[in-house]
Amino acid sequence: MMKNSGIPSSLIVENLKGVVGDKWVITEREFMENYLKDETPDPIRPKPAEDLILVKPSSTEEVSRILKIANENRIPVFPVGGRTGLVGGAVPTEPGIILSLERMSRIEVDEENLMAVAEAGATLGDLIKAAESAGLFFPPHPGDEGAQIGGLIATNAGGARAIKYGVMRNYVRGLEIVLPTGEILSLGGKLLKNNTGYDLMQLIIGSEGTLCVITKAVIRLFPKSKYMVTLIVPFNERSDALRTVPQILRSGIIPLAIEYVQLREILEAAGHINENWPVQKGLAQLIIILEGSSQEEILSACEGISKVCEANNAIDILLAETPEEQNRILKIRSNIYTALKPRMMDILDVTVPPSSLEKLMEQVDMIASKYGIYLPTYGHAGDGNLHVHIMRKDVESIDMAKKIKEEIYGAALKLGGVITGEHGIGKLRTENISLVLSEKHIDIMRSIKRIFDPNNILNPNKVLP
Amino acid sequence: MNIIVLIKQVPEIEKVRFDYEKGRLDRSSAGAVTNPFDLNALEAAVQIRERVGGVVTAISMGPMQAIESLRDALARGADRAILLSDERFAGADTLATAYTLAAAIKRLGKFDLVICGEKTVDGDTAQVGPEVAEFLGIPHAAYVEEILDVEKGWIIVRARMERSYYLMRLRLPALITVTKDINNPRLPSLKDKLRAMRMPIPVWNYTDLSEIADPKYFGLNGSPTRVIKVYTPISEKRKGQMISGSPKEVSQRILQILRENKILA
Repeated sequence: MMKNSGIPSSLIVENLKGVVGDKWVITEREFMENYLKDETPDPIRPKPAEDLILVKPSSTEEVSRILKIANENRIPVFPVGGRTGLVGGAVPTEPGIILSLERMSRIEVDEENLMAVAEAGATLGDLIKAAESAGLFFPPHPGDEGAQIGGLIATNAGGARAIKYGVMRNYVRGLEIVLPTGEILSLGGKLLKNNTGYDLMQLIIGSEGTLCVITKAVIRLFPKSKYMVTLIVPFNERSDALRTVPQILRSGIIPLAIEYVQLREILEAAGHINENWPVQKGLAQLIIILEGSSQEEILSACEGISKVCEANNAIDILLAETPEEQNRILKIRSNIYTALKPRMMDILDVTVPPSSLEKLMEQVDMIASKYGIYLPTYGHAGDGNLHVHIMRKDVESIDMAKKIKEEIYGAALKLGGVITGEHGIGKLRTENISLVLSEKHIDIMRSIKRIFDPNNILNPNKVLP
Repeated sequence: MNIIVLIKQVPEIEKVRFDYEKGRLDRSSAGAVTNPFDLNALEAAVQIRERVGGVVTAISMGPMQAIESLRDALARGADRAILLSDERFAGADTLATAYTLAAAIKRLGKFDLVICGEKTVDGDTAQVGPEVAEFLGIPHAAYVEEILDVEKGWIIVRARMERSYYLMRLRLPALITVTKDINNPRLPSLKDKLRAMRMPIPVWNYTDLSEIADPKYFGLNGSPTRVIKVYTPISEKRKGQMISGSPKEVSQRILQILRENKILA
């Protein structure tokens, strides 16, 4: 028996099989293990419920029929994508239906309009490839390439390459969604301007699967840049590295990405995937990715950057030009999290105004030394977005980790920041959301949730406290 | 020590398409990069120079755009670079390529060591290095994964064999080809890259090399290799088969299959 439902789950299962076919309704626990968790570190990841049904629809109509069944029977539905989230947002925390759109993975590229129409189950990797084979470019790199389009939009994913063109929100031009009550809505389209009424599409982006199920999206692409380089700039002092970042942006050069890493973590990440990190000097390093139409243009921008870096005591400036070298750098950088994860208690993504990042780092240092611990840190420095990791060996209990987390949150808020820049609220941060949002703000969010989802079946008890 | 590094510009091998009609790579389908193994060769040369002093010269044969790979070599530590470029060098197989490169090395004068990558990622033959050594009449070692020592007149290297290795002491001048395991090529500094952009790179043509070599061995004319047909071999896949029944039935059936396929007598 499912919570709230008056009918046995076997009847629900039969109804669902009637919609998607026997093969695509899974009730055996051993075949759904992967769908019960996301990438949240083990000690703090919410526990999945027992009594779950995994359903894999192949079309928007099937999604609509599934949601109607769920809504009529008051069965919670947990939409999942690539399950790469870090705040337990996709974990099915109550008995109900896990809705995976992995079979809906078509992508069509509209070269004339520089846009892709992607189904929600297509992965980030699929989108990057589809854009590339059409001679186009999807500039951001919002995390793990196994992440799915639906999830990227539902969480408004950010990632490393957001400085120049923005986060996921800045790329979505249209959405097809299914409401928890089963109605299908089309929002926006292949449009660069659209001022027709309240913008529900923007409300859906970042709603973390609590308002509707995203089934399709129109995503903006860009012409492929002809030339790209990655610079690695080592510094002896962390403050020197961080101070450099806003100065680069002020100098009129907007790189695709400016990432801040520390030698200790980046060497660990390289070792983790059996690669070599090419720059062994300096305590702190900036990774700067630049793209443009010619080598001359970019090398001249590099000269501008080098002046700023040298004025801030950079030890050296190294340049990776070949795709192989640049990909290796990005791959190692992307693996800091996977290298640290087995020993991690929590990963934070506090974000402050970009020029306050240096101050935030000082505060994080003070918190670390107060507790006598080391907090591995790296971040999307150009965006003021810092990832601070609390490691298991340093904390005696989950409560102690919470205390450290709240102090870091406090420091970010004092600097005009927020508790999350890209990971979202999910399940884990619902207890912290009121640090940032007023009671009135949360009330309005609750009202919106009720309008979209009157029976509270969609990803219940996420985002809202 | 005078060290020469042979460098080739190749298409980005992950992106390049194969033209099955013409039986060759469609080089317009991808960007061009320096052959990755050649970066290991250059790094090995720069490391030797850092230890014992000397001059590292990078040589490449190719169209004018190959000058980009030589600029890259200059940024990564080569002291000078020479491009061999002439329409009459085009269409060369490994033999004609090696002959032309050897001619350029002779024209340079005295040298101690030639270092190449073990192979190029587009041709994949691993022949050019050893062939250059033959044309120069010097000893060579292929697949070198460690340089143990360079002393006056000698180099000691460890070369990879299939399941063993070969320790060799070669009298200089000699040629070695190196594997990816020999080192991790360094990234150039921005300063060196910008300096390399401004350095002159001499281009040697057919006439320049005809002074010291027989031009009838250059390019397509000097290439005995003829590509008759290129095809993709069909790979055999494992054929899974489910056998059900009692253990006795299943074992009988397995025995029968093994006998049918002449695996068991």
